[in-house]
Amino acid sequence: MFTDSLSINFIELGHFAAYLAFMVALIQGMAPILAQTLRIPRLAQLSVNASVAVFVLTTVGGLALVHAFVTSNFSVQYVAANSNTLLPLFYKIAALWGGHEGSLYLWVWILTLYTLIVSWHGRKQYPEHLPVILAVQGWLMVGFFGLILFLSNPFERLFPIPADGNDLNPLLQDPGMVFHPPMLYLGYVGFSVPFAFAMTALITRWRSELWTGLIRRWTLIAWGFLTTGILLGGWWAYYELGWGGYWAWDPVENASFMPWLLGTALVHSITVQDRRRMLHAWNIFLVISTFSLSLLGTFLVRSGVLSSVHAFAVDPGRGTYILVFMTLVLTVSFGIFMARGRYQQAEETITSLLSRESLFVWNNVLFLVACASVLLGTLYPLALDALSGQKITVGPPYFNTVMVPIFLVVMLLMAVGPLVPWRKANPERLRARLLLPLLIGVTAAVVMSVFLQSVHWTGPVAVGLALFAAANLLTDLLRTVRQRRAQLKESLGRALGRTVLGNRRHYGGMLVHFGIVIIALGLVGSGLFRSELMVAMAPGDVMDIAGEHLRFEGVSSRQGQNYEAVQGRFTLLNSGRTVAPERRRYLRQQMPTTEIGIDSTILRDVYVVLSEAAEGDWNVPAGGKWAVHVYVNPLVRFIWSGGVIILLGLFFSLGGRQADRKPQEKPVRAVVATK
Amino acid sequence: MNIMRRLLFLFVFLAMPVFATQVDEDPMDRQVQDIAKDLRCAVCQNQPVAESNSELAHDMRKLIREQLQAGKSREEIMNYFVERYGDYILLNPPSRGAGTVVWLAPVGILLLVGISGYLFLRNRVRPTMPLPPKLSKEDAERVRVARKEAGQ
Repeated sequence: MFTDSLSINFIELGHFAAYLAFMVALIQGMAPILAQTLRIPRLAQLSVNASVAVFVLTTVGGLALVHAFVTSNFSVQYVAANSNTLLPLFYKIAALWGGHEGSLYLWVWILTLYTLIVSWHGRKQYPEHLPVILAVQGWLMVGFFGLILFLSNPFERLFPIPADGNDLNPLLQDPGMVFHPPMLYLGYVGFSVPFAFAMTALITRWRSELWTGLIRRWTLIAWGFLTTGILLGGWWAYYELGWGGYWAWDPVENASFMPWLLGTALVHSITVQDRRRMLHAWNIFLVISTFSLSLLGTFLVRSGVLSSVHAFAVDPGRGTYILVFMTLVLTVSFGIFMARGRYQQAEETITSLLSRESLFVWNNVLFLVACASVLLGTLYPLALDALSGQKITVGPPYFNTVMVPIFLVVMLLMAVGPLVPWRKANPERLRARLLLPLLIGVTAAVVMSVFLQSVHWTGPVAVGLALFAAANLLTDLLRTVRQRRAQLKESLGRALGRTVLGNRRHYGGMLVHFGIVIIALGLVGSGLFRSELMVAMAPGDVMDIAGEHLRFEGVSSRQGQNYEAVQGRFTLLNSGRTVAPERRRYLRQQMPTTEIGIDSTILRDVYVVLSEAAEGDWNVPAGGKWAVHVYVNPLVRFIWSGGVIILLGLFFSLGGRQADRKPQEKPVRAVVATK
Repeated sequence: MNIMRRLLFLFVFLAMPVFATQVDEDPMDRQVQDIAKDLRCAVCQNQPVAESNSELAHDMRKLIREQLQAGKSREEIMNYFVERYGDYILLNPPSRGAGTVVWLAPVGILLLVGISGYLFLRNRVRPTMPLPPKLSKEDAERVRVARKEAGQ
């Protein structure tokens, strides 16, 4: 009884801390404004102190919620709805972001964490701008805390207290789902940092190389988390949902893909500002748009508007709040941009249309079109339904038709772009350098279309472009190393190491490109060459699919901590390995779910699903025949490996020194570059 | 649970045939799946009929099978569902009525953004490079030293 009353106190303490955090965030947002109007500059420093306090208070609130989950305190409505006593401890903690209220709380906690890091980091580097940056983030916190505390409060109590909680959705009881939302949110919220910097640049007319470098770093960090989050989401869908794929152009996925597309555009165009002092205003526009899409993504998923437009109306308070908040953020930020953007003018002009900066502009054009198309395909059916009641569906076939050609052109740019120098390219030299890689790419495409005539035209084109890009990456690196060896008479290993380590930013980026090439090959392999077979099998039966022979050995029962399961066993006769797909029934929710069995090699995945039998019990099908659904998905591992390569490239690039840190080195480097 | 398990093993044992039999897919299943892939399961959240386990999806697959057995073509079956549920049932929006917007818009956006990008570039191009600013004395000295080091 004593522990029970103690835990009740904990949750109220957390609730109180969250309210305090809301108020302190308000102070954080007001401080620079008050300092300006009251003409007391010292007052602005309040926002720096406030940012620390908000983080501490929000953390206390979060810990109180974690405590409630761990101790199964079902007097908290949110805990009762998303957890129960049988749930393993790991998932009890992860259930914190298993529902609407808790995931918004996670969002705002991450925002306070980023703000703390910025205020820590900024005290020495940009103290005069720090209060404004923190104020922008403070207002975002106020907006989110308002939604959390007044309309979707995870601290809400429940009376009478239920004996046991509901359950965390069985589909979410998977390690992929535990890490997917935090990663995605670290990405979404990560874009709030460049957003705050961009707003500050407009308000205080801050423009410096330091600003550009900071935006670049923070954008890369957010982009890295977002990429990880999206890939983890695909991985989770692949392992957990059992339809053999990883990406379905579902509105929930599109919601995370849109900020990724614009974020990718931003990562490239900020480099132009860094190296060629152009596109200042455009970059600020991109930062604002990317963050707005992050907000939109959060709200699309969290408002329930996607399941049906009418879910929005079921809880009109929440829907209206979200709509008003979004509108406010958009009008204020774009309003300030319109009013002040003209102070962010380019310092240099473009020398030639055939230059890296000009190709970056085309990169931005394509990513912008891609993003706008996804936005339209996602929102148009919703808007149409809300406005006229007419229903249409924009599904995967549409998105594939529209997006694949765009991405093929992006691949072409990616293949050629890194070889084109800044300012002005020499067409003859460029042609000579592109010749061999182009030959490799074209040969691959021709060979592929000759031997696999039935395949969709995008297959050979994509493979050709991917190999063209990869060959360019390799030949460019080798050429640089060779030149270095000829000049400095170094050993091969030393020259290679010096070249790559000497320009970590560039070669980190090239490693990311290589990861994209690998992913592209994986997408072609698994998207166009998937084999699929659905058969009824009794134990002892053998099936053939794509050169694999599978024997069904039988089933056995198994007991998990909070579920019972029947596990099938299949032997792959080619290799002797086994896969063990399951059907599970969670004790609390009774609905049977499937667990996929996968035998994965680098070249192909054999993916086995024990499907629902048309008749019979969930674990004993009628007639002894199980419905077995088998896919052979080539090259799926390429996608996950490509993701790892991208992250490695990102770390490598971020570890490199910033251009503005050591200005005294610049003249010497300039000489080396022009030789 | 134990009795359950034993029963299950017994069941499996009895069901085990003496010789392994080769099983293959019913070719009709493949045709059904091909059509079901492009139809939306009307009661699910963004799931094709082919991938859904809902009762409606079961029924729809059954309907598709019956119609295929009756000799109807893919077009006819699709039209049958459109008549009953409206364009909503098609995962690929039709290029008529409200669906036209979705198909034309990407082309429009591409033209708009592409032309803006081109105009931006054309307006910004200044083919001659501005003269480099004159080096300060210290910088000139640095350049000289660096050139010397590089062996020029």
